[in-house]
Amino acid sequence: MIEVNHLTKRFGRVTAVDDVTFRVERGEILGFLGPNGAGKTTTMRILTGYMPATDGTAVVAGFNVFEQPLDAKRRTGYLPETPPLYPDMTVREYLDFVARIKGLPPAERRPRVDTAMERTRVADVRDRHCGKLSKGYRQRVGLAQAILHNPEVLILDEPTAGLDPKQIIETRELIKGLAGDHTIILSTHILPEVSQTCQRVVIINKGRVVAVDTPANLTKRLRGSEMLYVEVDAGAADARALFERLPGVTRVGETGRHDGAVGYEVETVRGQDIRRDLARAVVHEGWGLLELRPTGMSLEEIFLQVTTSEEPVAEVSHE
Amino acid sequence: MSNTLAIAGKELRGYFASPMGWVILGLFALLFGFFYYTFMDLFVRQSMQLSQFGQGPQAMNVNQYMIRPLLQNTSVIILFVLPMITMRTYAEEKRSGTIELLLTSPVTDLQIIVGKFLGAMALYTAMLLVTAVYMGLLYRFGDPEVGPIASGYLGLLLLGGCFIAVGLLVSSMTKNQIVAGMATFGTFLMLWVVSWIGDSAGPTMRTVLSYLSITDHFDDFSKGIIDTKHIVYYLSFITLGLFLTAKAVDSERWRG
Repeated sequence: MIEVNHLTKRFGRVTAVDDVTFRVERGEILGFLGPNGAGKTTTMRILTGYMPATDGTAVVAGFNVFEQPLDAKRRTGYLPETPPLYPDMTVREYLDFVARIKGLPPAERRPRVDTAMERTRVADVRDRHCGKLSKGYRQRVGLAQAILHNPEVLILDEPTAGLDPKQIIETRELIKGLAGDHTIILSTHILPEVSQTCQRVVIINKGRVVAVDTPANLTKRLRGSEMLYVEVDAGAADARALFERLPGVTRVGETGRHDGAVGYEVETVRGQDIRRDLARAVVHEGWGLLELRPTGMSLEEIFLQVTTSEEPVAEVSHE
Repeated sequence: MSNTLAIAGKELRGYFASPMGWVILGLFALLFGFFYYTFMDLFVRQSMQLSQFGQGPQAMNVNQYMIRPLLQNTSVIILFVLPMITMRTYAEEKRSGTIELLLTSPVTDLQIIVGKFLGAMALYTAMLLVTAVYMGLLYRFGDPEVGPIASGYLGLLLLGGCFIAVGLLVSSMTKNQIVAGMATFGTFLMLWVVSWIGDSAGPTMRTVLSYLSITDHFDDFSKGIIDTKHIVYYLSFITLGLFLTAKAVDSERWRG
């Protein structure tokens, strides 16, 4: 549905997007993840035909956005970072105007506007001026504008930015509900959003694609080894030596001690669960086992890892 | 066409949704009224003086001695008022981010530009229509010729069209309304005074500069002469302005 090939965008000497390539299948929600200034917005602006690329191609809904911009734009809905509202228009007037410039035939405009207002739950403010709406409503009217002409492709730039927690959940549900008939790209720098709404993630940093995968796979990929956190009260004995002797353990690190208890990080070979052996050994020694839990990396840590370090992803170890 | 009209309609509604459109309309009517009164007063006193010397009041032509200078002054008033109309056209869209909506909708740059041009022209036409009421009053008490009035208004429309085209171009190059307004006003002023410089220049230079001066072409219209030379000048000026605006918008896209 969306095909991006070797897309590059330079502003003078600054390269905002550098050789970005990815695909989005029909009905899929793709998360675009990266820190501020990573090139997310620029990529989206290129896809929506707002600005041309310096190099590379982008095909949206079967149309090259540089060669057939009008055809591509007719099939794309776009919510920019700041919802593009005219403060002097009422919500209804605004959506009517959008319906006209999106090229909807006169007979379809009214029902489409009504449907969009209903889906985004802005019908109750239809006669208020856009400039007087709260941030949450503004965002939703922006979303209504994007889905108005029932586009095949939806491009949403930080759709939940600035919303309160309840609105964020509602917006996510709305976006999930739109998937299926629509192919969606959404950008965010908030990680839980990606794992909750997206089927696939493109992590982008400094204009380059760092990783493309499902949220689950990304987490797995980073877990080249598995990690356990253990806290024991071993008295004067050396628990570390015991743990190191257990089969499957590759490394043991002490993380801290308080009130006689010592915390360890035990790294094991991937796919081998040593929790039972470890518990049995501790009990056998007569020590107190205070805590034992696996520590997988959260997406947040992955994000930090992939976007802050140059090292290959698999070699990342927990400090 | 439907896209262009949608944008023109949005522009026009935008002027009147805020007090701005009304303020401009009122301000223009007030300024025009002031000059109208001044020239009428002058005309009445002059013709009374003439009648005292034994000539009838009809000896002075109302078209020549009142309407013509009035319309010429109007061309200067619009030079001050039109920047207020055009300064927001692009600058405001860029500042508020609504330009992203326009540029990502299935409309061409030219449709947007022409739409904005027509929207501003519609407001300007409304301004001129208000002044037509004053002109109508003259028929109640006098007997002016309709021809020169009509040609004068045609000239004003074309002249204003040029100003609006320039204003759009300037507005498309900045995010700041005030900057757009000031720069537009400065440009208008240059286009007006360029013929003054010509007055002190040599004969060749004078002809060239006078041809360039946007207001000099208006003189014939105010006299009741419709010369294709001037119409061609104004229409090509408008076309050039809109064309350059399209280029400016396009270059903005590349630069981001």
